[in-house]
Amino acid sequence: MSSDHENAPEADTEYQHAEDDGPQPEKHCGHGRGGMGEEVSRKEDKRFITGRGNYVDDIKKPDMLHCEIVRSPHAHARVKDIDGSRAEAMDDVVAVLTAEDLLEHDLATMPTLMDDTQDVLVNEKVKFQSQEVAAVIATDRYTAKDGAEKVEVDYEVLDPVVDAQDALDAEAPLIRDELDDQEDNHIFDWETGDKDATEAVFDAADVTIEEDMNYQRLHPAPIETCGAVADWDPGMDKMTVHMTSQAPHAHRTLFSQVSGIPEHKVRIVSPDVGGGFGNKVPIYPGYVVAAAASFVLEQPVKWVEERSENIQSTGFARDYDMTGELAATEDGVIEGVKVDVLANHGAYNAAAQPTKFPAGFFNIFTGSYDIEAAYGSLTAAFTNTAPGGVAYRCSFRVTEAVYLIERLVNVLADELDVDPAEIRRRNFIPSDAFPYESATGWNYDSGDYEKALDKALEMADYEHYREEQQRRIENDADKLLGIGISSFTEIVGAGPGEQCDIAGIEMFDSADIRVNPTGNAVLRIGVQTQGQGHETTFAQIVAEELGMDVDNISVEHGDTDTEPYGLGTYGSRSTPVAGAATAVAARKVRDKAKSIAANELEAAEEDIEWDRESGEFHVAGAPDRSITITEIAAGAYMNHPGGEEPGLEATNYYDPPEMTYPFGSYIVVVEVDRETGEVDFEKFVAVDDCGNRINPMIIEGQIHGGLAQGIATAMLEEVTYDDNGNVTGGDFMNYLLPTANEIPNFDTGHTVTPSPHHPIGAKGVGESPTVGSPPAIVNAVVDAMNHAGVSHVEMPMTPDVVWAALDDAGLAHKPAQNVEFEFDGASGSADD
Amino acid sequence: MKSAPFEHHEPTTVDEAVSLLESLDGPTILSGGQSLVPMLRFRLANPDVVVDINGIDSLDYLHEEDGYLRIGALARHADVEDSSLIDETYGSFADVAPLVADPQVRNRGTVVGSVAQADPKGDWGSILLAHDGEVIARGPDGERTIPADEFFLLPYDTTLDDTELITEVRVPTPAPREGSAYHKLKRKTGDYAMAGVAARLVLDDDDVIETARLGMTAVDITNARATDAEAHLEGERPSSELFEEAGGLAAEESNPESDEHGDAGYKERMVDVLAQRALGDAAERAGLVKRRVSQ
Ligand SMILES: Cc1cc2nc3c(=O)[nH]c(=O)nc-3n(C[C@H](O)[C@H](O)[C@H](O)COP(=O)(O)OP(=O)(O)OC[C@H]3O[C@@H](n4cnc5c(N)ncnc54)[C@H](O)[C@@H]3O)c2cc1C
Repeated sequence: MSSDHENAPEADTEYQHAEDDGPQPEKHCGHGRGGMGEEVSRKEDKRFITGRGNYVDDIKKPDMLHCEIVRSPHAHARVKDIDGSRAEAMDDVVAVLTAEDLLEHDLATMPTLMDDTQDVLVNEKVKFQSQEVAAVIATDRYTAKDGAEKVEVDYEVLDPVVDAQDALDAEAPLIRDELDDQEDNHIFDWETGDKDATEAVFDAADVTIEEDMNYQRLHPAPIETCGAVADWDPGMDKMTVHMTSQAPHAHRTLFSQVSGIPEHKVRIVSPDVGGGFGNKVPIYPGYVVAAAASFVLEQPVKWVEERSENIQSTGFARDYDMTGELAATEDGVIEGVKVDVLANHGAYNAAAQPTKFPAGFFNIFTGSYDIEAAYGSLTAAFTNTAPGGVAYRCSFRVTEAVYLIERLVNVLADELDVDPAEIRRRNFIPSDAFPYESATGWNYDSGDYEKALDKALEMADYEHYREEQQRRIENDADKLLGIGISSFTEIVGAGPGEQCDIAGIEMFDSADIRVNPTGNAVLRIGVQTQGQGHETTFAQIVAEELGMDVDNISVEHGDTDTEPYGLGTYGSRSTPVAGAATAVAARKVRDKAKSIAANELEAAEEDIEWDRESGEFHVAGAPDRSITITEIAAGAYMNHPGGEEPGLEATNYYDPPEMTYPFGSYIVVVEVDRETGEVDFEKFVAVDDCGNRINPMIIEGQIHGGLAQGIATAMLEEVTYDDNGNVTGGDFMNYLLPTANEIPNFDTGHTVTPSPHHPIGAKGVGESPTVGSPPAIVNAVVDAMNHAGVSHVEMPMTPDVVWAALDDAGLAHKPAQNVEFEFDGASGSADD
Repeated sequence: MKSAPFEHHEPTTVDEAVSLLESLDGPTILSGGQSLVPMLRFRLANPDVVVDINGIDSLDYLHEEDGYLRIGALARHADVEDSSLIDETYGSFADVAPLVADPQVRNRGTVVGSVAQADPKGDWGSILLAHDGEVIARGPDGERTIPADEFFLLPYDTTLDDTELITEVRVPTPAPREGSAYHKLKRKTGDYAMAGVAARLVLDDDDVIETARLGMTAVDITNARATDAEAHLEGERPSSELFEEAGGLAAEESNPESDEHGDAGYKERMVDVLAQRALGDAAERAGLVKRRVSQ
């Protein structure tokens, strides 16, 4: 995907620092003021660590009421009657709301971010277990819950369909019978690439391989669940909603559309948010119910989900059934890739991704490889499960694509008996081929895949582990060794607006910088942090571009009344888009600062130079005649040049010319216990390349967290359903999150290949580790058993799953074989 | 936690607690709350009256006395984990304590509460069975001693009466040539067992197994003993082959169900594996030297 963009700024290459891990060049390139490349401590941590964060559930307002949602125990059922009278009769219950009440205010349905329409409270038919059926508003949250238990709902239970394949069966129950033109559970078909050319390549190929794989349903499970405090002010005719939102402005527009309240009378505030991972991009019925209740009752209303409500009803991730094929020469040069996907979207199409890409950026299934022909097809189905699909640090389905191609490449390596590192090397897009257009039409900005792989191989001591692996096979050891590689490429940073929009709004982003008379500054951004460290990273960009000290810049985000319009934080887009906007806005400020400097230094503006190293402006050829940004700020307000506006500020709305393509190579070494199927991590190497690095420490934190989530994906997590549509993995006793004990030490490294089109040469990084690590882990486990013919193991690879693979391959061991006891004294030893 | 409303009583003596249990209507005992509170939160338990025993200081002990290791009703999992009494001599206790749940749960949850909960996936029941343990209960009619063997009836159901309070669980102090161990297979920290096996061996002077006990977790409707395997072990000298046979017998005696932790066949196989591992460790702790012969 490419687009010509006139206003795309040139990447500023002045601070493209050394391309290796040495801390030295990085520490210095920020010039000691906390600019680019410095490991500045996170500004937000003081309040988090001292317990002074302000999350939605911390917000208390006078006369605030509490909302509890009555949810369906059934996955598919007609609601025949709702009797709230027993709840209403309770002392502290203020109201019971049903779809009927919402219909009166035209609030019964809401648009999903994929243009579907979802019931706020079930109008006629329940379509997934835990769907919102009624709401009880009470003076405290305990009573609200007691009241919810007293609401009697009469259900006519219908046959559910949980599996996407079953849902497409002609006999399957029709889930969306309220839609006029919907005759089955089919949502859409999508195709990409060139089918004929790909078939031709496959027909002529020396070798083809095929593998089925399932990317299981996951849940992002942020530590803070979703919630809102809605406050309708009848005096101001204004609705203020504090809510757990990753995209406050987009949510304001949608709120206004749903409620009919004009947008300038809606204020969305996203306060501190305890993790999002994509789970807080969609709109949920709870938000709308709280707002509707506040509007009707003219009192603030708080709604905060319980953990199991979060897992069972809010945006899930993945749930792709994939078949992938590769065609290659006998030397292992990949010529073609084919993929067919069945996607389970749940009961509503609510995947929250750019409208033009029904399968998100799954198009990147050609990965890091130069493949002549590619073809992908995908079918999406409704099922009686919670809606969602795009979440959990996945860049709109890049995760599934990366898993597919990185697994397939390993299957091919096994087939041809070529080392998995070598087969990758033979197929990488060469570093001099960028910008590179893939067979599915996407324009990769920059990359040097071989370099990242080489570095990872060296860090992992790859050859040593290969030898050790062989030794264990020969000795029939109880623990097998497996080595897995993933050399992934991501695609992050949506827009461009021409191609990417959310519910019609182009995916640009924004920054607004105001320098105060005393020389410090406030940066307001259209993106919103849920833990990524924006308040630090974005301040560093300004520090770098204006020569200010990072401590003198505060970053505001998340309040639609004060921040410029933006599309929010997800899909690793903050740095690629709002980071670019920040750099461009800072450069505008710098330009204006120049004219003030000229005025103050009594020189011509053309003669004023800015020195990145010192952060000062000086007269060309006369470094002594210099002035700092602090002095300039004073000048802007106290002695502004005639003919110019006073003040020192600038705004930029940035529409990126392209996305950015971060990449990396991960190498995982595992031990597989042949007696139990348990998997232990021996070594975990992660080499990432996200272009120029703003704060290496924050990047490291993002990598660590994302790798933990990748391990969780590969080893533990899955939202499971039984045949009746009951969620069986709907709480933390059954939906398994890893603890620190399950996470090994990581050896992280990096290379630096700047993005040529981004103003500071940066790419997104938040999702790389979650996207890149699951295939490395699965490749490692499969690699341990591959000598006995195992070609695939499905995630999550719990001990029983791995043991079944061992057993099938004849590799399972019993313990006794290798133990002997020595007896003392008269009785002699076991050997006699 | 948004439980249904309940009345909360805080007795400070066992007598007071017992008389509350007798006089109140349908009381539920609260100790560490690590099983009860989740049930209140899901409203699976909706007691009208809760008798909170955390204020009964006399129940907070873990010591050896009169030939028993005695664990009072307020001894937390973490107390066992941290106790200087709990070393190789009480091998299975030392093994299990850090494997129950996670540190937060272990700081509050009690051994006695865990036994009272009678969850077949709970670890302590197997330890108690393997050690010929006893449950001491106080009720309106005084004190009663229930052998662990007779305590567990069904999942979450025991021979304890509604009006009874467990004051203590105890096991005999180990014989000179005794060794015990616990092996648990779980998917992650804080996860209940996929399967678990406690083993205890007492050897005579000729290294012959005098007493053998195997307690199994999560593979039957209650924590259960593997009596066929025990009988097979007794009178023999430890060997790999013997333990392999015992592991096989224990697996046959187990009755696991297929669930999200794995299918029944896998769990049976794991009983076999874990029993062999636990027996190996128990034999070692009873004084034998264990050697790995290959790799
Ligand atoms: C996340 C998590 C993970 C866990 N993992 C494990 C695990 O791996 N292995 C394991 O064994 N357990 C596990 N548990 C359970 C834990 O061990 C509990 O502590 C234990 O089951 C209950 O002990 P408690 O003191 O908390 O009892 P409570 O929750 O207070 O009570 C439990 C039950 O016992 C009754 N009761 C309590 N004390 C007495 C008494 N003195 N007399 C009579 N009845 C009494 C109560 O009425 C109640 O019915 C886990 C729990 C959690 C929350």
